[in-house]
Order: sequence, then structure tokens, then C-alpha cells
Amino acid sequence: MFLHNLKYEMKAGLRNRELVIWLILFPMFLGTVFKIAFGSIYEKVDSFSVIPCAVVEDGGEDAALRQVLDSVSEGEDALLKVQYVSAEEADDLLREGEVSGILTADGRLSLTVTEEGLAQTVLRSFAGQYNTNRSVITDSAAENPQAVQQVIESLRAELSPVKDVPLTKGNTDYMVQYFTNLLAMVAMYGSLTGLHITIQNQGNLSKLGARKCCSPTPKSVSICACLTGSAIMQTICMVISVSFLSFILKIRFGGNPALIYLTAILGGLLGVAFGFCIGSIGRFQTGTKTGICFGVSMFCCFCSGLMVGNMKSVVARYAPWFNRINPAALITDSLYYLNIDSDYQRYAVAVISMAVLSAVLILLGFILTRRKKYASL
Amino acid sequence: MGETVVKLENMVKRYGDLIALDHFSLEIQAGEIFGLLGPNGSGKTTTINCLLSLLSYDKGEIEIFGKKMSPTAYDIKQQIGIIMQEVAVFDELSVYENIDYFCGLYIHDKETRKQYVEDAIRFVGLEDFVKFRPKKLSGGLLRRLNIACGIAHKPKLIILDEPTVAVDPQSRNKILEGIAELNRNGATVIYTSHYMEEVEQLCTHIVIMDKGKKIAEGTKDELKRMIKNTETVTIEILELPEAVREEIGRLPHIYETEYKDDRFTVRCSGGKHNLIRILDVLKQNDLSFGRVYTELPTLNDVFLEITGKSLRDKED
Repeated sequence: MFLHNLKYEMKAGLRNRELVIWLILFPMFLGTVFKIAFGSIYEKVDSFSVIPCAVVEDGGEDAALRQVLDSVSEGEDALLKVQYVSAEEADDLLREGEVSGILTADGRLSLTVTEEGLAQTVLRSFAGQYNTNRSVITDSAAENPQAVQQVIESLRAELSPVKDVPLTKGNTDYMVQYFTNLLAMVAMYGSLTGLHITIQNQGNLSKLGARKCCSPTPKSVSICACLTGSAIMQTICMVISVSFLSFILKIRFGGNPALIYLTAILGGLLGVAFGFCIGSIGRFQTGTKTGICFGVSMFCCFCSGLMVGNMKSVVARYAPWFNRINPAALITDSLYYLNIDSDYQRYAVAVISMAVLSAVLILLGFILTRRKKYASL
Repeated sequence: MGETVVKLENMVKRYGDLIALDHFSLEIQAGEIFGLLGPNGSGKTTTINCLLSLLSYDKGEIEIFGKKMSPTAYDIKQQIGIIMQEVAVFDELSVYENIDYFCGLYIHDKETRKQYVEDAIRFVGLEDFVKFRPKKLSGGLLRRLNIACGIAHKPKLIILDEPTVAVDPQSRNKILEGIAELNRNGATVIYTSHYMEEVEQLCTHIVIMDKGKKIAEGTKDELKRMIKNTETVTIEILELPEAVREEIGRLPHIYETEYKDDRFTVRCSGGKHNLIRILDVLKQNDLSFGRVYTELPTLNDVFLEITGKSLRDKED
């Protein structure tokens, strides 16, 4: 009986065009829009950590300059990516956007750029610092290499305020939060499939529900099958969304990829449970319940920062308790902790909260729907 | 015959101040096609919903197959087939899948179910549409699918709640023939409608209800015998002087005359040769007339005489 219900629930669900549009295609579209909108900012910030530049030595090879440039181009915290080229080649590279600027060494170090930005600011600062300390470097290069090293260290220290200081191994890009919120939105759309369960099983919400209520199949079996079917479908949708964002749009959520999938799937289940519970409450008609479900889901997403980035901080300041019960906030928090934290303590708490909240919502939905006679149909 | 399949006793159902069922009782015997006739809003669907334990009610008792009906009376539900007024099927599933799904809620054995589903498809004549989705079906075919979903598990008691609303005449006849066949195959049928012709054609026992109350019960002949009208004569006539109309009204066995829109209607109560006597009067007064026809009383006349209003007044 359970498997029979599950089989047809899955068939009907997977053929439901609205479900495919809202749970698969729309998030893909929105993700692509986000990527286009934030992509250029993301790339600029990303490329800021290593700045490509061309170096032209008009006065012949400058050993002291090379020593400095080599030292700031090496290692994990490299500042520059240097190419020693002729003036013509440098112009070509700059024109084609291969480098952010041209450093020309002719006694002093001068900078040529075609646009202004953070990379250019760093290069300008580097050139200025080098020129200021040039005599120390030149004089000490042969006799006192230690003094040169001190100058280089001070040069690095000068430039570090405009360079990312990683506090975590995760992706600290501010824009990632929009994509985690997008995943939260897909999960919250699961509430519509959850609502669908109550509509299909309650005689006062649909004729299909009335017909099912007349059959000898216990409502608990039918609801369990529908919940399982919805959970499977929502899992498929979440996996597709995470895969699309990670592999097609190349969004780096940070953290263990398997745990990202797990979090997204659990978030989807929370969405289904949320919709199931909302659908079971009160005596509203189907249209009203759909409106409430959609509205509440969107409000939760809004509060977790889908539309306005710092909204979750605002909620945390004025109503911190709400972030602890807002399903969308729990989902984004889990993904955030997974990305940022080196241990899993906060992540585990958020994930357990999601699981507990899902269980409570499903239990509440069951209690409200089973063995029911209706006051009116 | 003789075994009571359904028993409703003293049912009361209120919606706020409105009394939908007012101490309503009925008994349905095995093998009957039981007609529940009444205008829209008379309480037919409420009765069915209470019967199926979908609706709560304020007072009364319901027994089906000798057992108390409740939402968890699965052994009773196993033997009931329900065909609702509105089509209740999955839009995403094909004709075959829909019937298989609903049949599967009652029949667990796959082989038996497959046979039952094929029987149901044949029964409603949807063999050529098994792979169609409901949206591709016409209104009539959709109704047939709705019926197939309700009867595929071969129930002993079939409840049809206005199954022919908004159905074309051809499909309507097919549905009515099908119901009669289901009854011949041994099912007890409860049929609700506000189409008196259907109830008259199909049902062996009829309850007429209005405002949640039973106002008459019996076979169609018994019901018609309850009223004084035995024959209605209608004559198309362009001009009818009042004096002639009064003369006809004084003839024996004639209790009511009406002249409206060039139609002269005469209602008779018993007696023979009423038509000949009416026509004789018209001829004696040199009045020419057109079409003449007589009608035997209908269930509408029964309803009209008991309630003072027509069954058709509130039709869709």
C-alpha cells in the first residue's frame, strides 16, 4: 500500500510542470542572474590577491629590483605575478587585459595603467614604496642583503592592508551568501510540495483528498508515502541546484562538498516539513494556504538575507530568537559555518536544529490531519 | 433483496444557523438503485458526505452493512465506491495510471488489480484513451474516467453524487446505462441528482428531499400516486376567451387551467376521455387550435404539489 502510493506520488510529482519550473528551472535562472550581476565584482576581488603586472627594464637588468619583485611574487601570499618583457610586449599585454599595469624601471620605478581599480592602487603603492626605499635597496643589495630583506618586509607590511587577510580556509567572498540564500530559497520552495501533501490528503482541501479519505487506505500510510515522495523529489531538486551552482556557475561554497550536499538535502526536508505543517493548520481553503505558505517562505528567505544582504544581522540584533527558528536562516547558517569554521561545532548545532525542527513540524502536521472529519467541505 | 445496506437515523447537520439535514432518516436495501432527488442545496451532497464519514454531524447514526460508519471503518470503506460530483483524478497521470492508482487503494494483489483495471476501462469505454492524460479528454470522457476510478475495485455499494452534471446527452446515456449494468451485476447504488428524468429512468426507490428534510419516499409509481394530478393536457391555441376557459374548468376531473404564451394547460385528476371532452368544448365554440399533447405526471409534479415550487427552479 505504501509503495503503491509512493510510486504514483513520485510519478505525479516528477510530471508536475509547476514543480519543475519553481524547484529546478527558476533557481537555475536566478543563480545565473546572480552570477552575471555579482560575477565581475567576484572576479575583481578574487584576482586582487595576485596582481599580474608587466615589468620593463629600460636601463638594463636591475638586480636589486629583481630581488624585490621576486620576493613579493613567491609563496602562498604572493602579491604580484611578474612578467619581464619589452616595452612593446608590455603595451600589448596591458591592452589585452593580461596585466593590470606596467612597471617601468628606468632609475626610478614608474607605473602605466589604463584603468583605475584596487589592483592599480596596490601597484601604485608598491612603486611609491620602492622609489622611497630605492637608495637603501640599491646600496645594500651587494653588501647587506639583510637590510634589503627588511625593506621588503616593510614593503609587504605597507601593502597588506589592501590585500585580503584570510581568517579561514573557506571562501570569504561576501557574494557567496547570495548563493547560499538561493539554496535556502529552493529548500523553502519545498514547502509547496509539503503543502501539496495536505491538499491531496485532506477531504476539505481537494476532491482528490475526499476520494482518498473514502478509501480503506489509512491516512497515515497515504501521508507517509506522500512525505517520502516529496522528500525524494526535494532531494533531487536540491542536488541539481547545488551541482548547477558548484559545477556550472563555479560557485565555491567552501567546506566539505559532501556536507554541502547533505546540508542542502536536510534543508529541503525542512522545507517540506514546514509546508506540511502550515497546510495542516487551520480551516483555510487551498488558495489561502498556498498564499500563506508562499508568503511565509519568502519572508523567511528575506529575513535570512536573500533580498538584502545584511538582513540576517539586523534580525540578529533585534530578534535573535527568530534566526534560531527561521528555517531559511538555519540553512544559510549551516552552510556559512561549514564554509568558515575549521571545526564542525557550530555546523553540527545548526544541522541538528534543522533535523529537530523538521521532526517537530512533521509530527505536528500528522497530529492535525489524521482521523479527521470535517465541519464543512 | 431485503438486507439493509445503509441506514441513516435522525441525522442533523448544521452550518451555523443553516440546517442542512433536519432529522433526516433513510434505509437502503441491497440491490436497489436508490435515488436521492432534490433541488440544489436540498442536502443531497451533505447526506452523502456524512454517510462517507467525511463530514461531522450534530446528531444521528449511520450504519453501513450493519456496522457503524466512522473515518477508520476501513472494512466498510473497502466495499464502497464513490463517484463525486466533480472529477477527482490526477492531472499528471494517464487514464490507466489513474484507474490503477485508485484501484490500488482497495486491491493489493497486482494480478487481480490489473484485471480489474482492464475491466473498468472496458466498462466505461476508454480503451482508446488509456495513455491519455485527463487534460486531453473531453468533458464526457473525463466523467467516464471519474466513474472508472470509483468502480474499478468492484464495490458492493456505489455512491454517485450528481455524476451527469454538465455532461453531453450521449455521455449521459452511456453513464446511465453503465449504472444500470453495475446494479444488474449485484451492486447497490445510491444516486443523487436534481435531474428528475434520470432518477425516474434509473431508480427503483426514490427519496425526494428539500431543505434537509425528506418530503416523500417510494417507488416512482407510489410517488406519483401521492398527488392528484394524473394527466396534463396542453393545447397550442392563439385565442382563448375567458368564458371558454371557465367552461372547460368546470368539466369533471379538471382541477386547474392555465393560459399563457398561446398555450392552454389543463391539469386533470383521474377520469377517462378528458382530452376528448376538452376538444369538444373548443370545437363547439368554433376555436381553431394547433398542436395537442398530454403528459403523465412527473416527479417534478410530485415535488411541485408537495412543496409548491418546481424542482427545476434552481437548476444550474
